[in-house]
Amino acid sequence: MIEWAILVGVAAATLRVAAPLILASLGETVVEKAGLLNLGLQGAMLVGAFSGFMGAFFTGSLWLGLVCCVIGGTITTLLYGVLVINLNLDQVVSGLAINLLAGGLTLYFTRALFTGGVAPYLQELFGPMQIPLLGSIPILGEIIFSHTGFVYFGLICVPLISILLTKTTFGLRLRSIGEDPVIASYLGIDVVKMRYVALFIEGILAGIAGGLLTISMFNTFDTRIVAARGFVAVSIVILGRWNPLGVLAGSLLFGFTEVLSLRIGILFPEISSASTNQLFALLPYLVALIALIVGGRRVRGPASLGKRVGRE
Amino acid sequence: MDNRPSDPKKEDYAIFLKEITKTFPNGTVANFGITLGILKGEVHAILGENGAGKTTLLRMISGILKPDSGEIFIDGKSAKMRDPMDASRLGIGMVHQHFTLIPEFTVRENVALVLAESGWLDLKKVDAKIVEVSEKMGIEIDPEAKIENLPVGKRQLVEILRLLCRDVKILLLDEPTSVLTPIEVDSFFRIIRDLKSSGKTIVLVTHKMKEALKISDRVTVLRGGRVIRTVPTTEADEALLASLVVEGLAAPPVVKRGTPGDPILSIDSIIVKDDRGRTAVDGLSLVVRAGEIVGIAGVAGNGQKELVEAISGLRRVESGIITLSSQDITNKSTRFIIEKGLSYIPEDRMHRGVVLTMGIHDNLALKCIERPPMSKNWVIDRRSMINYAERLISDFSIKASDPCMSVENLSGGNIQKLIIARELSNGGTFLIAEQPTAGLDIKASEVVHQRLIDLRSRGAGILLVSSDLDEIIKLSDRICVMFGGKIVGEFFPENLDLERLSRAMLGAE
Ligand SMILES: Nc1ncnc2c1ncn2[C@@H]1O[C@H](COP(=O)(O)OP(=O)(O)OP(=O)(O)O)[C@@H](O)[C@H]1O
Ligand SMILES: [Mg+2]
Repeated sequence: MIEWAILVGVAAATLRVAAPLILASLGETVVEKAGLLNLGLQGAMLVGAFSGFMGAFFTGSLWLGLVCCVIGGTITTLLYGVLVINLNLDQVVSGLAINLLAGGLTLYFTRALFTGGVAPYLQELFGPMQIPLLGSIPILGEIIFSHTGFVYFGLICVPLISILLTKTTFGLRLRSIGEDPVIASYLGIDVVKMRYVALFIEGILAGIAGGLLTISMFNTFDTRIVAARGFVAVSIVILGRWNPLGVLAGSLLFGFTEVLSLRIGILFPEISSASTNQLFALLPYLVALIALIVGGRRVRGPASLGKRVGRE
Repeated sequence: MDNRPSDPKKEDYAIFLKEITKTFPNGTVANFGITLGILKGEVHAILGENGAGKTTLLRMISGILKPDSGEIFIDGKSAKMRDPMDASRLGIGMVHQHFTLIPEFTVRENVALVLAESGWLDLKKVDAKIVEVSEKMGIEIDPEAKIENLPVGKRQLVEILRLLCRDVKILLLDEPTSVLTPIEVDSFFRIIRDLKSSGKTIVLVTHKMKEALKISDRVTVLRGGRVIRTVPTTEADEALLASLVVEGLAAPPVVKRGTPGDPILSIDSIIVKDDRGRTAVDGLSLVVRAGEIVGIAGVAGNGQKELVEAISGLRRVESGIITLSSQDITNKSTRFIIEKGLSYIPEDRMHRGVVLTMGIHDNLALKCIERPPMSKNWVIDRRSMINYAERLISDFSIKASDPCMSVENLSGGNIQKLIIARELSNGGTFLIAEQPTAGLDIKASEVVHQRLIDLRSRGAGILLVSSDLDEIIKLSDRICVMFGGKIVGEFFPENLDLERLSRAMLGAE
């Protein structure tokens, strides 16, 4: 018999693990709605994690670290913008190039700046913020209202991005660019400006998603800290059908299966062994695959997603 | 008579073009030394054969393309437009030859795209505007309908409606009537007259002389990228305009009716649903025989689109049977149906007819690529693809700079010629021709008509679906009127009672 406390713990951990995915995939949703497939999301998260750590470490202020991760994230996505918008390069290649660049630079600076090439530990971290009243609700309070500010921010962003995309003129125009940038430009929509705005939004979200890893989750930086979260976030966007609510669900699904695979020993000691644990690490991807097959296949992505504009 | 106004600053001109030249990167000179003044408050028709440079000219006025040399004056002031936004600030709006509606969006969203100010989307305001303008236009439009589910005639109306929702002073209309039925054209012309009397300036590109004569104040004819002449409409007639548009136009031959043989296509009480699940084709039966052209007349949206899609395997048939050359093709794959002899000239040519980003040679070989001489042992023979393309380009006088150029750089009419060339050359025994001459100039239309008749004389069956009633009457051996998903009347072109035919089209027979 599994105890309540364990279940509550799993639920709370799911949300915590999902937070960076929620933020990053919401950002990616915005740019994909504008027809840009930014695989450089991974790189933007890495730069966010790195600059967040650097800011916090050298100034001694977590808040300045937060500012730095936002700046790092936006610089990265805007650089991607220069490649695909101004230079009209292939989107996939540009995204992968950004990832290589981000990986190389962060590795170089970690080696150059810190003795032994290992980043030191931060003195403090952004800790959980107890929300008065709501936090003291039994069970629910523990699951939802016992987290760091990043988790709340991610959750608030879901309706915000949804409203931005569906209820504002900006969102409508953005979506029209994702369907057909040439037609959008005929209609007097400033495709270049709109795409940069979208990338700016993604940069903020991806920067924070990366930064929270260093200044709130783990208190150091390592070039492998992002793991595959950037790429997972890109697939969550597809899984969530370019819909912020779907993206939230997809992130939670990934978060849950990840927590499950980590805690399998505690939850089901009977079936836990070295080899089954390895298998359980596959769970998130298996579940995603099934969800993709079962979930609404009729929803199409933005028609011009990933395409280069070749017309005059 | 002075046709070439010389003083560009004169306040009378809404648009004044001075020595405009445009050459495309591939070397095509689309416009050369064009000097032309459009008076304030006039309806100015622009005629010219396919590839004459009409669209290019309008695109420069609307800021999409930049002239290589020359100057554009709007309201007497030199206008250097960098993009369509600049043009729209000057009060210029355009209805493009190819739709600029987002197919995934609803009518409402498409209108909101150009109408809404930044900030919150005020859909109520957009709806109110749609209702207001559609009432003025005398049409019925469901703001919630998705564009991709609308027939092209309806889409064209939405395109016009969207322009009218904005506050524009100068309207550039690139072949807005080519897919409209006569009834729709009439109400469209009423709107044009209203606009004119409220002081708007209208430039109208068309291939139909009758329309130009009926609605315009002056007509300019382009040929080979140059202005041939501008004439006041009162001094023009159809013969003059036709002779200006194309040199040496022979009088159209008299069309002889066919001698129908055995049935090729038989449709037995089929029911087909539209995208929203409503019955669009309602127990319809129809036979097309070998050596016969059957024309389908009707107002767009009465099930023609769904009927054609059902025959060509693009849409499920709920019940009933379709046979082609005595073989059951009901709900078979399109590939299978093509192998049984179907050729298809689709009305939605940009989406269904061609792959825009591929070359002419690729597009022409699409339907025979798996057979020699186009390919042997799964290896494509590029040389024979190019030879084939060169042959069809000259056979169908497609205006192209080379056989491998990307189809998106062809003019609208030349894309249509390409599709027709492919579909008429693949040896099919049954052809569906939807709006086959929409967007073609008079000479090209004449050629296509002749080709359709030749095909019929060789024993093929043809189902002709067109909004152009003249075309249907000219070519068909039998005319079926479609209304509400049914065939409500059958007519023969001899001793045709036009009055009854029109009533049938409106469902009043
Ligand atoms: N982007 C482009 N690149 C190269 N050539 C082009 C391009 N756009 C148009 N052309 C060529 O310029 C010429 C004029 O084209 P345009 O579209 O203006 O003709 P049009 O008069 O509108 O013809 P239609 O009646 O068929 O629409 C054509 O020969 C066409 O192939
Ligand atoms: Mg044109």
